[in-house]
Amino acid sequence: MLSCKELVAHSSDYLDSQLNLRMRLAVRTHLAMCRNCRRFIRQMRLSQLVLRRLPQGQNAELDALAQRLAELRRQSS
Amino acid sequence: MDYPDDSALLTRLLAGEQKAFRELVGTYQSAMRAVAFAIVGSRNADEVVQDAWLAVVRNLDSFQGRSSLKTWLLTITANTAKTRLKHNRREVLLDDLPGPHGSVGDERFAADGHWLLAPHAWHQDTPEALLTEGELRECLEKTLASLSELQGSVLLLRERQGLELDEICNLLQVSLSNVRVLLHRARLKVFATLEHFEETGQC
Ligand SMILES: [Zn+2]
Repeated sequence: MLSCKELVAHSSDYLDSQLNLRMRLAVRTHLAMCRNCRRFIRQMRLSQLVLRRLPQGQNAELDALAQRLAELRRQSS
Repeated sequence: MDYPDDSALLTRLLAGEQKAFRELVGTYQSAMRAVAFAIVGSRNADEVVQDAWLAVVRNLDSFQGRSSLKTWLLTITANTAKTRLKHNRREVLLDDLPGPHGSVGDERFAADGHWLLAPHAWHQDTPEALLTEGELRECLEKTLASLSELQGSVLLLRERQGLELDEICNLLQVSLSNVRVLLHRARLKVFATLEHFEETGQC
């Protein structure tokens, strides 16, 4: 059976659906029996969502860029 | 056109509407920057992104809609970056800079592979709740800044921009196995930061 350490090592590939069928089944079987690894995978997924929602700044810079590009487009057409 | 979401925006872009360009840069600027970072490094990335935007405007009329706008923009960025990088590729740096809160290393496991220090429950279980803590946001920014240029870019393109792994491989010309390694190590560092923050309440 897959150990917890091995499960962690394959966790990203599991989340990205990069595992072959046999490994995927091994991971699922392990998760069905191991609370710690279930929690780990849940927290990895949560980390992914946190990154997705992390705000990114630099609005003024983007306003200026958009203005420049729009002008350029209008000049060229 | 195969990408209906793009076609309305494209019409407005072709008309030179400033709000349309604001939408475009707001949506894609950081992905373009990530691509440029990964290929030419931080010193030249901003210039490459600038040049790429100019090329985008210049070629807007010839955009056929055979790919999504996103793919088109990122391909232009990658090409601009590769042109800049005349001596072709740098070696792919797989060496791993240490994150501020480490990773999930061997010390977490017993000799038989079971958890020695298993993850604890976190206080918050939604991204919104976690991100209400301003300090955590700063803390995550620090972790992201600690990643190598290539690793940070791969993480950003995957997690924030939702690119498929093979798109990332093609844009950055990195093998799938390398992308997987880079991504995994980056995620573990982000995990370690969140875990550290949840356990100690500080960065
Ligand atoms: Zn386990």
